[in-house]
Order: sequence, then structure tokens, then C-alpha cells
Amino acid sequence: MQKRVVFRSRLLPYLLVLPQIAITLIFFFWPAYQALESSFFIEDAFGFSRQWVAMQNYVELFQDPSYLRSFKTTLIFGVSVAVMAMSISLGLAVAANRVVKAATGYRTMLIWPYAVAPALAGVIWYFLMNPSLGIVAYWLKNVGVDWNHYLNGDQALLLVIVAAAWKQVSYNFLFFLAGLQSIPKSLIEAAAIDRAGPVRRFWTIVFPLLTPTTFFLLVVNLVYAFFDTFALVHATTEGGPVDATSILVFRVYNTGFIGQDYGSSAAQSVILMGLVIMMTFVQFRFVERKVQY
Amino acid sequence: MATLSIKSLGKVYPGGVTAVSDVNVDIADGEFIVLVGPSGCGKSTILRMIAGLEGITSGDLQIDDRRVNDLEPGERDIAMVFQNYALYPHMSVRGNMEYGLKNEGLPKAQIAERIAEAARTLRLEEFLDRKPANLSGGQRQRVAMGRAIVRDPKVFLFDEPLSNLDAKLRTQLRAELKALHKRLGATFVYVTHDQVEAMSLADRIIIMSNGKVEQIGTPMDLYLRPASRFVADFIGSPSMNVLDGTVSSDRRSLQLNGSHQIDFGTELPTAAGNQIAIGIRPEHLHQNTAGETRIELSVGFIEQLGADTVVHGTIAGSQSPLAVRLNGVQARDSGDSIALSCGRDQIHLFDGTTGQRLNWDNQ
Repeated sequence: MQKRVVFRSRLLPYLLVLPQIAITLIFFFWPAYQALESSFFIEDAFGFSRQWVAMQNYVELFQDPSYLRSFKTTLIFGVSVAVMAMSISLGLAVAANRVVKAATGYRTMLIWPYAVAPALAGVIWYFLMNPSLGIVAYWLKNVGVDWNHYLNGDQALLLVIVAAAWKQVSYNFLFFLAGLQSIPKSLIEAAAIDRAGPVRRFWTIVFPLLTPTTFFLLVVNLVYAFFDTFALVHATTEGGPVDATSILVFRVYNTGFIGQDYGSSAAQSVILMGLVIMMTFVQFRFVERKVQY
Repeated sequence: MATLSIKSLGKVYPGGVTAVSDVNVDIADGEFIVLVGPSGCGKSTILRMIAGLEGITSGDLQIDDRRVNDLEPGERDIAMVFQNYALYPHMSVRGNMEYGLKNEGLPKAQIAERIAEAARTLRLEEFLDRKPANLSGGQRQRVAMGRAIVRDPKVFLFDEPLSNLDAKLRTQLRAELKALHKRLGATFVYVTHDQVEAMSLADRIIIMSNGKVEQIGTPMDLYLRPASRFVADFIGSPSMNVLDGTVSSDRRSLQLNGSHQIDFGTELPTAAGNQIAIGIRPEHLHQNTAGETRIELSVGFIEQLGADTVVHGTIAGSQSPLAVRLNGVQARDSGDSIALSCGRDQIHLFDGTTGQRLNWDNQ
């Protein structure tokens, strides 16, 4: 039997992939091209005229200390979100994997936060942490922490990190749980007979066997934190106070739509695009090869 | 090296399913014990209880006179070979064998020495740095055994270790396993569903069905004096012919279901009118009339195996199926009739309702 599908008509296969290609071209390549193009121009705020400036937008960005600070903020934000979201979800997955009674109930509830829109997740945490109304801020006050993310930049960054991580825990949980369940039970039993206690079993058997899942999630979480958290920041801190939570993706919006500096905004998008391409490359290059056992 | 004592061992799963009930056996130091039975009979559960992977619901388990019911698997000083080998896929062969020893905290030099010895014994030296994924089924099997050997445990447990291998390799590894047992002189507990494996490996067999022990004995005990109809049927290939019937009024013959009658020439050890079953192994029926009990077989089909020929058919004049194993190459056509006889000492009697063995005075 022939495994590959063979079309009699030469046109049909192209017709079948046409919708996908059209969507990709219209919604991905065209805007990407437009961003690339605008990044070489300076445009007036109303869009009446523009002037070719070659690399000037880029040069200015890399000479701007606050833009470079955003790089650092993004890095701290991204790594913290990924580490926090992944470690919490791994803990939850290990716990859920041990639950025998009502296991599906727990799992369903743990998956719920993923259904919450990023902006809403931000708002939930915004309310919880609000210095004057928030319940968490109130508790923190009781234990002696003076919480005010309107004034304290570090606290503001922590707020968006926690909110972003919370949102991502469910997704990671699902993958970790699936990963855990694909580890044959007999391996754990063999390790138990080999005199490894539960903790040692986890770090010498379970965790190494989860490496492919972990690496995949690391890339996904970094991509999420770098590029998918605009709405969350917008709904909570709006990049403030004083740029403390102004991550790169938020800055693109801020420069373009608030500052109306389209050229610089476009240049920032292009830089972000480069980052995504790099990370995707890393993922495909290493996930497939290195993280194998 | 150790003794293993199992006293009224029972296992009830949450939900009320009884997997094992009232198992009693004393296993001697260096004995090769095989637990055999059909799937779901509880043999694996017993092994897992010995290993500490399943909790014990009732009864006692002692290794070397020490009660181990509540000890963790790692504290029982046992090693187990799993059906799927359960090799750690991210570790090399050496890593797999080292793992347990490292956990024990053995000095490095001693670990290296033990691994070298086990690798030599199992011919694994050239594979020590390979990952399990790059080994064949038979090699993985040997690594799993190596991982058990280096531990130098009191008891070795095997959970159907050969069932994932092809028939030829299985036969070869069976012989290696037997030799290994001889060399180590250790106590082996081995689970299988394959009666040939059980017969060829065991010093003693524990045969189980439905969570209960049917019989414990040497392979020849089980073959020559099966304690029940179940054992008779399970041990031996092709399996024993078992025919149901009613004891005649003079107690000297059996009225088979149908019209056929088998004469014994002596009194049966049970009352007239009782339902009993007789068992005759296919290899104990001979093409002569020397035996006291005579049966005529109507040929249905034959299986020629070279060394011998198995003839399947029915007892002439009835619907009762019968198989006979004849020496050498024999040609028979469907519908042919063969006159057979059997010595009375090779006929087994079983109670019609309980299936228990009935002994008669000539045995």
C-alpha cells in the first residue's frame, strides 16, 4: 500500500494549502515586512509624511539607556517567570500524580487558570495586591511588609512576575503531568528496590527523564514571558513606576501608540522578531538533539 | 543467601478484590522457586509483596527469620528483574548497575570490582558504556540480571523476565539462568505463566489459580501426582486428557458422558453413581493392548512435530475429545481408528465437583 497521498491533479494540493499560506502571508509576513520597512523611516505623528533615515532608529535605541534597561528588566522578568512557573507546576504535577482519589477533579481545577485571559489575570492580581484594597497587601502589611507597587519598582516587577507565572502554571502543569505519567512505574519501583528514597528517586530518575519536557517548557515559557505578557503589564502597572516593569514588548506599544514614534516602535518590533527567531532556532536545534537519553 | 518464609499471606485490594489468600510456603536457602499460573492468578502479586512493592493485607513474610512486612523495598535486601527490564534509560549499562551500589554507599573500588565481575559473568563487558536503547532485547535482559547480581541480595525476584523475548532466545536464556542460579547458589523466586519454564527451572513449583495455591511440589510431583484437575490440565503439553463420567454400579468402570464406557478391571475409590473425572496424559497412551485400560481413538487431525506425532480425535463411539502422543513420524488419516491402552498407574482420578485428586490403592 502506498503511504503517501498522491494527487491526480497538480492543482489540488496547492489549492488545499492555499488558505494556510494566505493567512500566513497576510497576517504574519505582511505586517513583519511593514515593521521592517517602517523601522528605517521616521514618520510624523499623524502619518502624513515620512523620511528615510536608514539605521538611525536602531542606533538611537541602542544608545538609549532606558531601552537597554528594558532589556535587563525583560531578562529578569522572563527568567523569573519561567523558573517560578515551572518549579511551581512541577511541584503540583508531582503532587497530582500521587493523588488517587478525585484525581481528575484536582487536575481540572489546576488547569483552569489557563482559561483566564492575560489581562484578567493581571487585574485579579492587581486587586489582590492593591495597596489600599488588596487582601494580599493587607496580609503583607500584617507581617510587616510595606507593599506598594505604585511607588516601589521592585515590588511592581514582582507583581507582574507573579501574575505572569500564575497564568502559565496550568500550561506547564499539563505537560509535566503528562511527562510524569509517561515514566514507567517499574522504573520507580526498580529504584525503590535499589535503595533510593523518594527524594533521591525524584532527582536521579524522574527529573532526568523529564528533561525533554523541561527544556521544551523552558523555551515556551521564555517566549511567553518575553512576547505574550503585554496585556498583563498593560492592565496592571503600565510599565511603571518609572519604567520598572517596562519589558520590551510593552515598550513597543508604549513608544508606538503613546509616544507615537512609529519608526522606533517598528525597530523594536524587528529586534523582538530577531529574538523569537533565535529562540525558535535554539529550540529546534537543541530540543531535538541534545536533550535525549 | 537466605530463607524465605511465607505464612498465611493474603492481599485484598481497596475495593474488596481478593488477589491472594492464605499462601503458606517455606523457601529454603538457595532454592529455585517458580510461581506459575494463568494471568490474574495472583502470582505477580505475591512476588510484589515479597519485594515490598505491594502492601501485605494479612499474614507474615520473613526473610532469614526477620519479619519484613513493614520494611521498605530497599531495606529488604532483595533484587528484582522486571518483565520490561525497567532499565534506567538515561544511564549507561554501568550506570544502571552502579545505581543501587551507590545508594548503598559502597566504596568506589568495590563497586568497580563487582561490576567487572558481573559484566564478565554475563558477557556484558563491551556494552558497559552503552545506553539501554542501543542494546538488543537479550542484552537488556542480561543488564537487568547484572543489576540484580551486583547487589548481592539475599533473595532474587524475577517477574516473567523472559516473556518479552523470542522463543529461541528464551530457551537460551533459560539455560543461562539455570547456570547462574547454580553458580550463585542464591535463593530465587521466579514468576512465569509458562509451564515449560516452570518445569525446566524450578526446584519446587508453586502453582496457583484464582489467588489460591493449588499445589506446591517438585516439577515431577506436579507432573506425576497433580493435586487437582487444574494442576493436571496446566502442567504438560499437550495437556492431559480429562474425561468426565459417572462411576458404574459395580465401581469397576466409568460411564462417560455419552454412551461410552471405560473399564478399569479394579474398583474405583469412590461410591457408585458419583461424578468423577479421569485424567490420562497423551504420552501415557500406547498403541498396544498391554495396559489394563483400553480405549479406541477415532482420528480427527494430527500434528507432526518430528520427534513425535500428536493425534487429536474423539473416543470411538462418543464425543469425548482425546489426544495421544505417538513416538516418531506417524501418518494417520481422519476417521482412522487406533487401539490404545494405558497402565492403570498412569490414570489420575479427580473428584467431579471439587476437582481434587482421588487416590486409589494401586498408587
